[in-house]
Parts: sequence; C-alpha cells; structure tokens
Amino acid sequence: MKRRRVLFMQLSQIRQLLKKFALVILFLIAFVMMLLNKTDTALIDKTSSVATDVVTPVVDVLILPARLLANAYDYLKDLSLAHKENQFLKAENRRLRLVSERARSLEIENRLLAKLLNYTRPDEENLVTARVVAEEGDAFSHSLIAYTGKDTTAQKGQIVLTEKGVVGRLDKVGQLYSKILMITDINSRIPVMIENTRVRGILAGDNELNPKLVFTPLSANIQEGDRVVTSGVAGVFPAGLPVGVVSHVSKREIRVLPFADLNKVEYVKIVSFPLESQEALSETVVVEEAVNE
Amino acid sequence: MNEDWDEALKLSIQKMLPLLTSIIWVALSYMPFDFLLPTNIHANVAVICVYYWVLHRPDVFNLFSVFFLGLFEDVLTSAPLGSSIFQLLLLYVLVGYMVKYFNGKSFELLWLGFLPLAFVVMFARWFVVSIYYADFLPFALLMFSFLLTSAVYPLVTLVNVGIQNKLMTDEA
Repeated sequence: MKRRRVLFMQLSQIRQLLKKFALVILFLIAFVMMLLNKTDTALIDKTSSVATDVVTPVVDVLILPARLLANAYDYLKDLSLAHKENQFLKAENRRLRLVSERARSLEIENRLLAKLLNYTRPDEENLVTARVVAEEGDAFSHSLIAYTGKDTTAQKGQIVLTEKGVVGRLDKVGQLYSKILMITDINSRIPVMIENTRVRGILAGDNELNPKLVFTPLSANIQEGDRVVTSGVAGVFPAGLPVGVVSHVSKREIRVLPFADLNKVEYVKIVSFPLESQEALSETVVVEEAVNE
Repeated sequence: MNEDWDEALKLSIQKMLPLLTSIIWVALSYMPFDFLLPTNIHANVAVICVYYWVLHRPDVFNLFSVFFLGLFEDVLTSAPLGSSIFQLLLLYVLVGYMVKYFNGKSFELLWLGFLPLAFVVMFARWFVVSIYYADFLPFALLMFSFLLTSAVYPLVTLVNVGIQNKLMTDEA
C-alpha cells in the first residue's frame, strides 16, 4: 500500500514536472525537427510525404467552392476581353500555322541528318498532368502541392512544367499528393544553359521572385533578354525545356525571369523522363549538395 | 444516459472548435486564390488564430493546440519543419505575458496590440530560418506578408467571434 502511494506520488510528480516544462519541451521538439530536417534523411523524406498525404485532403476538400469562385471570376474577366482576344488568337493562329509547317520540314530534315551521322536521339519524355491543390510563396518557401493520384511514374527530382515553361521539380512524392519545389525556392537548383551561347550554369532560387543564375563562367557574355533553357546535364531532365529569360545582369548577380507565370499555376505537367537509373538522380542531388556547400 | 453522452459529445466538439477552425483557416490561406492575390503574398492566419483563441479561450486552445496548428502548417509548406511551430509557440508565450493588459479591451486596441506581436514572431521566424539556411531570406516578402496579415485580421477575428458566440458555450 505504501509502495503504491510512493509510485502514485512519483507519477503525479512526473506529470506535474512535464506540465511545468511542456513549453520548453515543445520548443525543443521544434528545434530538433528543424535539425532533423537539415539532415535530409530518407526517413524524414518519407515521413514528410506521408504527412503531406494526410494533411492535403483538408485543402483539397475546401478547394472545390474556391475553384468555382475563381472560375466564375475568370469567366467574367475573359468575357470582357473575348472579342479582342479572338482577333489576337486568329492572327496568332495564322502565324503558328506557318511555324508549324516550317517545324515539320525541319523535323524531317533533322531526322535525315541524324540518320546520316548515326546520332542516337535521347529518349522521349512522358508527360503526366496534375492539378494544383495548394500553393505557397512567401519569405520562407515557394512550393506547390499537386494531386498526382496513384501515378507510379512520379519520382522525386522530376521536372514540372506549365505550358509556358519550367515551374520546379518534385520534392516529396506521396501516395496521392506530391510537393513541388518551385524554381524560386531557396532549396531549388536546376542545371540550365543560355540557349544561343550554350553557356551552362545553375539556376538557384533564393525565395525572391526571380531566381539567380550562378556558376556561369566569368568570360561568358550573358545579356538581358537571353533565353534560359534546361541543360540536361546528368541526364535527369531533358535538355532544352524553356525556363526563363535573363532579366537583370550586374557584377554581383544575374537574375532570370521565369517564363511560367508562377503566380497562377492551376495545372502542371510532370515530365517523367526515362532516367538511366535512380543513381543518375541521386548523382545530381549529390552534385547539387556539393555546389550548395 | 443517452443525454449525458450527447452532452459530452457536444462539449468535446465545442472544445475542438477553435483548433478545427484554425486548421480550416490555415488550409484556406494556402489555397490557390490567384484571382485575388499573387502567390508571393501570403497572410499568416495561424498567427491571428493563435492570438485570438489564446486571448479569449486559453482553456480550450492550449499549448498543444498551438503546437498541432504549427505542425499542420509546417507539413503543408516547404519551410523547415518546426519553424512555424516555433513561431506560434513564441506567440503563445508573448500573449500569455500580455493577456492582463489585453483583457476587456476594445477590438481596435486588440488589433493594435496584435500588430507588434505579429511582427515580432514573424521576424523571429524569419531570423531563425535565415540562420537555418545561412542566408538572409527576402525581407520585403516578409513585410508584405505582415501587412496582409494585419489587413485580414478583422475578417478572421470576425469569423472567430461568430464561432465563439454562436457555437460555443462557457462550459466548453
């Protein structure tokens, strides 16, 4: 009886102690979480993906009325511009028909020349379309959550596009939802090149609106207006995907204005590029980590 | 017996209401409302919710509710896990210290009181995450977020007042 009382007192004391220090313990948990996040282990990655799958349906349910509201607003806005836009699209259509004809003849010429030179063409990529469920962009991070469904081809590191250009890459792939790290996010690093000069570099986000172009040769003559495309280095992304245009060049930094309107992303295309192997992806991640350091 | 169960269930739901509504507010804030605002500006509604509920109903919105709300926000974003928890816990501590000054004050004064507290906790998070990345994060975006958070404060508070007055009893 005496022993039980002692034990009971001890338990209550422990409970009181825990209650007293709960705030400190929770602060410590928050800091430990940040430190664990920094280690970027597979366990954290997996846990985070599962947590995203658990949490995101809340947003997905709430999104339905919001989408209706947004669509109604877009409809009314489009209606007022319909006539002007129709004229513009007709003119553009005429121009694009000519471009299409030209592209077709160039494609045939390209195939013939490739055959002559015995050139091995890179594998064609597959595109998977996903609906954006949540988006986030502030001083702390820039990311999207998209509903990828039970698509087994989605893998961490795959590049994500809109019809205009690269948006980012898959960061965490869950059972139904995937987190996309936008090119403006501080953790984003994408191998790119200047389209006309083929000068290579890394597009690095820093949570600003326009990402930086880093690790370009000092001698490279990069000018405002130059188009930036993916370089395809390491074989993880296809080469030549449009990324943006050089918007600012100074001695300190080069900034790139993304082609994709990162403020308005409703649907995205995930490029499931046939990777040589998963090692190629991890190789790039290792290279990027080295670059970051 | 059945009535007792009903009453207990009702009370439990009422006790959960502050956390549930806060979760819905946070989820809403991450929805793609591109037609209203650019993605780059984000209102920190979690801060408003914690401020409101800790001030008005600390009995049902306790430390663990604050922690859980922070965890929910952290999972939803790509910011370092734990950074939002840190921000909200800090606000919990600050509001705890200030509660005696805020008691019985008008809406306008509470709004005014919210501004420095929100700025301090948002700045603290910005500072901690900047240390985490060993790089200063864009301060302008933080300021835009702070301004937007201050601007949406009346709307979020109005809904929270409605929930507290219409759906919750003093026993909860």
